[in-house]
Amino acid sequence: MEQNRKPLSEDWLSVWIGLLFFLLSLGVLVGADILGWVVTTSVWSDISKALAPVSKAYASVGGIGALILTYVALLAVLTAGSVALNADVKRFAGSFSVVFWISYLCWIVGSYANFAVTTPADMQKFGINWSLRLTNEGGFIVALIAGLIVGNLLPGLAEWIKEAVRPEWYIKTAIVILGGFLGITAAEKLSLATALMFRGLAAIIEAYLIYWAVVYFVARKWFKFSREWSAPLASGISICGVSAAIATGSAIRARPVVPIMVASLVVVFSVVELLILPFAAQMFLSHEPMVAGAWMGLAVKTDGAAVASGGITESLILASAAAQGINFQKGWILGTTTTVKVFIDVFIGIWAFILAYIWTTYIDVRQGQKARASEIWERFPKFIIGYVLTFVVILVMALGATPELTAKLRSAMAEANTFRGIFFVMTFFTIGVMSNFKRLWEEGIAKLAAVYLLCLFGFVIWIGLVISFIFFGGVQPPLVS
Amino acid sequence: MEQKPNIRQEMQTMPHEPLLAIEKRLIGWSLIVGVVLMVILIFFSHTYFPA
Repeated sequence: MEQNRKPLSEDWLSVWIGLLFFLLSLGVLVGADILGWVVTTSVWSDISKALAPVSKAYASVGGIGALILTYVALLAVLTAGSVALNADVKRFAGSFSVVFWISYLCWIVGSYANFAVTTPADMQKFGINWSLRLTNEGGFIVALIAGLIVGNLLPGLAEWIKEAVRPEWYIKTAIVILGGFLGITAAEKLSLATALMFRGLAAIIEAYLIYWAVVYFVARKWFKFSREWSAPLASGISICGVSAAIATGSAIRARPVVPIMVASLVVVFSVVELLILPFAAQMFLSHEPMVAGAWMGLAVKTDGAAVASGGITESLILASAAAQGINFQKGWILGTTTTVKVFIDVFIGIWAFILAYIWTTYIDVRQGQKARASEIWERFPKFIIGYVLTFVVILVMALGATPELTAKLRSAMAEANTFRGIFFVMTFFTIGVMSNFKRLWEEGIAKLAAVYLLCLFGFVIWIGLVISFIFFGGVQPPLVS
Repeated sequence: MEQKPNIRQEMQTMPHEPLLAIEKRLIGWSLIVGVVLMVILIFFSHTYFPA
């Protein structure tokens, strides 16, 4: 009956939920601070000062009150969303509660002064003499490690919470919300934002025409994989991980197990990249922040891991710069990563259509089975519509706005962006939970992993770095005025 | 009931499929078009959209 209803895709759901938070945040423009109670976490040495509502108007709610309100609101909205997904609602509510509380606890732990403080002045302020300098977003890494522990050492718990282990849903919702924040950031330096967007086009060429061709060749020629395995593998490694592998698998009519195995592999390697590349970027690319941002978008696969690594990279590089007295504006590095990733995503449907055409016309010719142009739209990642919408709406409102309106827009987007942070931390935790290294190994994917390792560390990372330098080298984010 | 495929065994016994002409064309043209478009993009981005 009800269960027969066609479920809404996570893609569309992330658009609606992202827009809901975005629209509610705009209440600030008409004097209604609707989301001011959402909890925010500061760097702390005294736990009682870690949490607070984002808006001073809700100061009386207190930190714990804000956290509980945030949990209840997200539980209500996402559980309602789970109905649209045809998920097991009771199970989802329970699982989501576990995901939320572990994720948020990780964020609080990661914001501990000895982990997070980045500048000597702040070390003095908190009365500490050492710090890991992970920034307050080091909590994301803590969440990822917690997720890996659950996914690999606590299989019973991982199984119990799997209904809410949906990193793609969380990150896509975060990206829709992020659009507004990047809109207000871009409005301040429109020419720089335009130049960055144009440079983002390079990512499409690199991912689809260069990476894909080389990975496919390596898989087919050197590793002797069949076409059925090589095409989804090439898409998974070159384009955008999970969704690209699935779209390609479907385009070439591969058995469902093929893209699923490739997608699992992509998630595991994304975690490895997520743990290494942002720190490598901080170490070697602190003087080239935008190169670092673009590199994350080009080298790290899956939307979740790529945008998440952009967030970590931004925090780490801004912290390094701040320690030297340079204060870059927030949002530009993460914005570059997101632009690169979104541009790549846009073409998944077109690429899948091209592959479907070649396969059905030349390789796997079957009577009456032809590629349909409508598949381009079917495979278009819909969350991009939400991202573009929030970006353009805020950009248009901010261009030529009075200082008062700009301040209100900034405040509204700061509130919405707080939810973005919470969706981010849940993404990190759930990516970790999904990364079951042992199970993948048992499935016998060593040969697939060998292709991935060779391609990723053999050229994907390095070509990505070179192209990031060519297009983004020398470009600096604006300084905080 | 549909049996779960044994991936380990499948990896070991995968039959060799030689590269077809259309696959070679796909790889070759992707790379050629990719490099040419990249050069055009570098020119346009530095000429018309300096950051």
